[in-house]
Amino acid sequence: MKVSLNWLKEFVDIDQTPAELAESLTMAGLEVEGLEHKAQNLNDLTVARILDIKLHPRADRLSICQLDVGKGEVSVVCGAKNMSKGDLVPLALPGTSLPDGMLIKESKIRDEISQGMLLAEDEMGLTDDHTGIMILPDNLRPGQPLSDAMDLEDWILDITLTPNRIDCASIVGIARDIGALTNKKISMPEIHIEESDTLIEDLASVTILDSQGCPRYTVGLVEGVKIGPSPFWMRYRLHVSGIRSINNVVDITNYVLMELGQPLHAFDYNLLADRQIVVKRAENGQIFTTLDEQPRDLDDQTLMICDGEGPVALAGIMGGLNSEITEKSGTVLIESAYFNPTMIRRSSKRLSLSTEASYRFERGIDIGGVDFALKRSLMLIKQLAGGNIARGIIDCYPEPWSTPKIILRANRANEILGTSIGIKQMADYLFSLTMAVKVVDQNRMEVSPPSFRVDITREADLVEEIARLFGYNNIPITLPAIRPTEEDISELVLRDRIKAILVGMGFSEIITYSFISPKSADILGAGVNSNLRSFVKLLNPLSKDQSVMRTSLIPGLLSTVRLNSLRGQNDLRIFEWGKTYIKEEEELPQEKQVLAALITGMVSTQKWYQEARDADLFDIKGMAENILGELGIDKAEYKRNSLKEGLDPNEYARISSSGSDIGAIGKVSKEVMEGYGLEKKAYVLEIYIEPLLPLVSRVKQFTPLAKFPSVRRDISIIVNRSIESAMLISIVKGIGKGLVESVDIFDIYQGKQIVPQEKALALGISYRSKERTLTDNEVNNIHEEIIEEIRRQTGGRLREGPKNGNPR
Amino acid sequence: MKDELLELKTRVLKKLESVAERSDLEKLRQSYLGRKGFLTLLLKRLEELPKEQRPAIGRLANQVKEELTEEFQSVSDSLTRKDAKEVSALDITLPGRRTPTGHLHPITQITEEICTIFVKLGFQVVQGPEVELDYYNFEALNMPKDHPARDMQDTFYISDNVVLRTHTSPMQIRIMENTSPPVSIVAPGKVYRPDSDISHTPMFHQVEGLLVDKGVSFGDLKGTLTTFAHQMFGPDTDLRFRPSFFPFTEPSAEVDIRCVVCQGKGCRVCSHTGWLEILGSGMVDPEVFKIVGYDVESISGFAFGMGVERIAMLKSGLDDIRLFFENDIRFLQQF
Repeated sequence: MKVSLNWLKEFVDIDQTPAELAESLTMAGLEVEGLEHKAQNLNDLTVARILDIKLHPRADRLSICQLDVGKGEVSVVCGAKNMSKGDLVPLALPGTSLPDGMLIKESKIRDEISQGMLLAEDEMGLTDDHTGIMILPDNLRPGQPLSDAMDLEDWILDITLTPNRIDCASIVGIARDIGALTNKKISMPEIHIEESDTLIEDLASVTILDSQGCPRYTVGLVEGVKIGPSPFWMRYRLHVSGIRSINNVVDITNYVLMELGQPLHAFDYNLLADRQIVVKRAENGQIFTTLDEQPRDLDDQTLMICDGEGPVALAGIMGGLNSEITEKSGTVLIESAYFNPTMIRRSSKRLSLSTEASYRFERGIDIGGVDFALKRSLMLIKQLAGGNIARGIIDCYPEPWSTPKIILRANRANEILGTSIGIKQMADYLFSLTMAVKVVDQNRMEVSPPSFRVDITREADLVEEIARLFGYNNIPITLPAIRPTEEDISELVLRDRIKAILVGMGFSEIITYSFISPKSADILGAGVNSNLRSFVKLLNPLSKDQSVMRTSLIPGLLSTVRLNSLRGQNDLRIFEWGKTYIKEEEELPQEKQVLAALITGMVSTQKWYQEARDADLFDIKGMAENILGELGIDKAEYKRNSLKEGLDPNEYARISSSGSDIGAIGKVSKEVMEGYGLEKKAYVLEIYIEPLLPLVSRVKQFTPLAKFPSVRRDISIIVNRSIESAMLISIVKGIGKGLVESVDIFDIYQGKQIVPQEKALALGISYRSKERTLTDNEVNNIHEEIIEEIRRQTGGRLREGPKNGNPR
Repeated sequence: MKDELLELKTRVLKKLESVAERSDLEKLRQSYLGRKGFLTLLLKRLEELPKEQRPAIGRLANQVKEELTEEFQSVSDSLTRKDAKEVSALDITLPGRRTPTGHLHPITQITEEICTIFVKLGFQVVQGPEVELDYYNFEALNMPKDHPARDMQDTFYISDNVVLRTHTSPMQIRIMENTSPPVSIVAPGKVYRPDSDISHTPMFHQVEGLLVDKGVSFGDLKGTLTTFAHQMFGPDTDLRFRPSFFPFTEPSAEVDIRCVVCQGKGCRVCSHTGWLEILGSGMVDPEVFKIVGYDVESISGFAFGMGVERIAMLKSGLDDIRLFFENDIRFLQQF
């Protein structure tokens, strides 16, 4: 909310500089986010009197004004038409600059010399009016600096209000807090109303049919007003507040709204059927056109202001087009009311229509100040638009507000705050906030907040007020004694370990949005019943591409590959640790922690010491083995038992351990890559954290270090290509009877020297016993047995070349 | 004898000049300075001199010996350097064999940094769902339906009763529902609000904190968060607490630190206020305690929440929040 300092000063004395004031408001919870010096260079402008106006000899639309500037005369070419001889006007002489930075120079306009520029209000940054040159009041003297003469200098505070402090959504509200902070009394506007002899009751009536929706409704009436523009001071203040000037009567309702925080509405009395106001609910399906010329669909939860025939205003939100104030309006009926906050909020939300009025009503205005604001507006109308104020006001207020009584315990307040503020001091603080305070005993007081402090209903609310006035920064700093609670953090420990391993292998972590496009499931080739399609859908997504929660991390990885590849970065190792969200029967979906990593492009680039090489499946497999190995999961199996969506059916494997599915590796299928506009190959790894967790041992068991030497024997064997290396290894370990320490596949050969259906595998076997040094004989026997068993089970044969059994 | 000594010195120096091989140097050293070398033998004759001459000649002899020893060392050093040059054509400026280095996402790094500080203070890290019931996200936090405070947080809806959590505060309720006091937790995680521009992304990260126990005061809140700010931003960081509003705390406070960019002079980053808002906090509202069934009179507590992206941006000087989720590898590798 933008607030004029000069306006504030009408209600409270302010000794502080604008910056000091801003600081103290901020520290009291009214955050000043901006401070603007208004009209600061307008003193460079001069008050000038128009001595003569001639038509420009060579331009029909221009005129030449002869001006008295106090210490001489100047001549200025001007395009406006609204001024006349004798008027005082603002003049920018050559050498001055306008608020928008424009520098005024002496110039020639179609052969006529122009020694300056006459200004409209918007050109001086005062209002947005550009209808003509600003005509100044007649009591000024030519030659006076404009800003001093008009008292224009001002500061605008931009205050961000928290939702609880709706009482501060007005000049008076902020003045009240300034008063409490600086120990100054505030002065409310004085009301002097000259009423006519006509009783308002003889002219209008008010009936409330929904007193829950409308606890208070007041009206006043002014006959014979003259609708016209508002004076400059009012238009200036409305402009500062961000409100467009309409006409004097409407401006007054807005002015009082900004001044006192009470929304008002002006009806054209002569357009009200039966001269009556009825407050009631709308009917379902009813349509009503508001002031902004929009037809609005109503329902029976919408509170309406009606006349004898039908609706004339959407209560608390916006007036109707059918009773709008126009130039022809002669008699105006002013409404000042209190509407139920929840009802106004619902209607405002349902209609997507939020106004200065609804903003205040839905947060709760001052029910006790409704009549005061009405009278203030009547007085201003008479002052600025003339007319006769009907005698009295109508005030329907069936159940007047009763002052709440809140008990405050000083010791509890000090306990919560960590302070030792005396009860007397607390009482003073609350009193300065215009609360009624009655001290009950040494510890307790009974506090009644004023009707505008709708946010104060409990002891805790009073404690905050005390803290605010005491000053948060004056509360002493202490440290609590923390007694830690027990939580299971194994998942977090695991996460940090896995991330560290990945970073060590050169992977960078990415974080992508949790919402993706529903099309991603199609691109991944998900089946109709696939979990990948169990989307949690957003009702109000920002875009279709972000309209469902992800069911896989792979789309995020591939989108990231795409972004980087468009920027020429094709060699990537990336991973993301995050959740997938699978829709379930229950209200909340299943959120599963998943690690997904991807490698694409080259694993090594050409260097002085190495050749370039593209990533392949065994790069990602090695990374999976590294991670699982580090976690102590040695018995992971890589199997192609059921296809994995999105992965190449020939190059993938599911990872399982102890019967649980804990992950997958594979090459992203060509179709999927194309779906993301990618050409290179990419390999992914997924690890599912929930099933992994129970397999990870929290304690690592020590194994005694081997004391006896190991013996290595190599085998090179030719087998059918369908034989998997895992089978050979398991034969070796099976026959090895605990003496085989490790099996290493150190070469694979497929090529000219053997038939195409076969491959040659070279195995290096390390034998070692825990109890003794193995003899050659012992090793040779087992080794022979192993070779025999391999032959038997695979139909393989030894390859020529390195003799079997060669010690190395 | 004096002459002999000087002559010997000149001779040796002359010979040293032409030495090119280490072996020659060693031979020369042996023949003059060795146990049976000329100088050694010469010195043995010192005894034959008259007593009064001995001290002067003795000093001279020692001096010569020292000078020669030094000279031998210097020739030896220069031979070593020469050897090294001849053997190696090593180009030490060639780049080394590097393995690729990975980087944790800056958001992860800052989240860790924040959590570690609180863990050291005795808080436990907890996590919870991101797709959340309206009840936990709003209602139990003292924001019933149709409460204007809901306007503070635009919300992604899944259904009438299910939302993407707009803050990490639902974790306060989830923890208190299942734990009796004392409670001391931090809850990092993703949160969502429909907003997208240079300073907003529809997904971002927060860290929530909650401490509930007997006798916890606003002073404790200030102490804990001051300690945090000093560890996070440096021990000299000025901070201030100012009144604010959150539906689930009362009193509520925003915490500002002195602008890290301009040191309080006023700049674009701090909107010329000299201060940067880094977190929201407050004493847990009694309504919240009632909702989770805690005894309002016997305990009290404070809660706080902060945006990780904001802190990461302040620390790194980044001015476009969207870069965090674009994941350009060049960006990630800077952290």
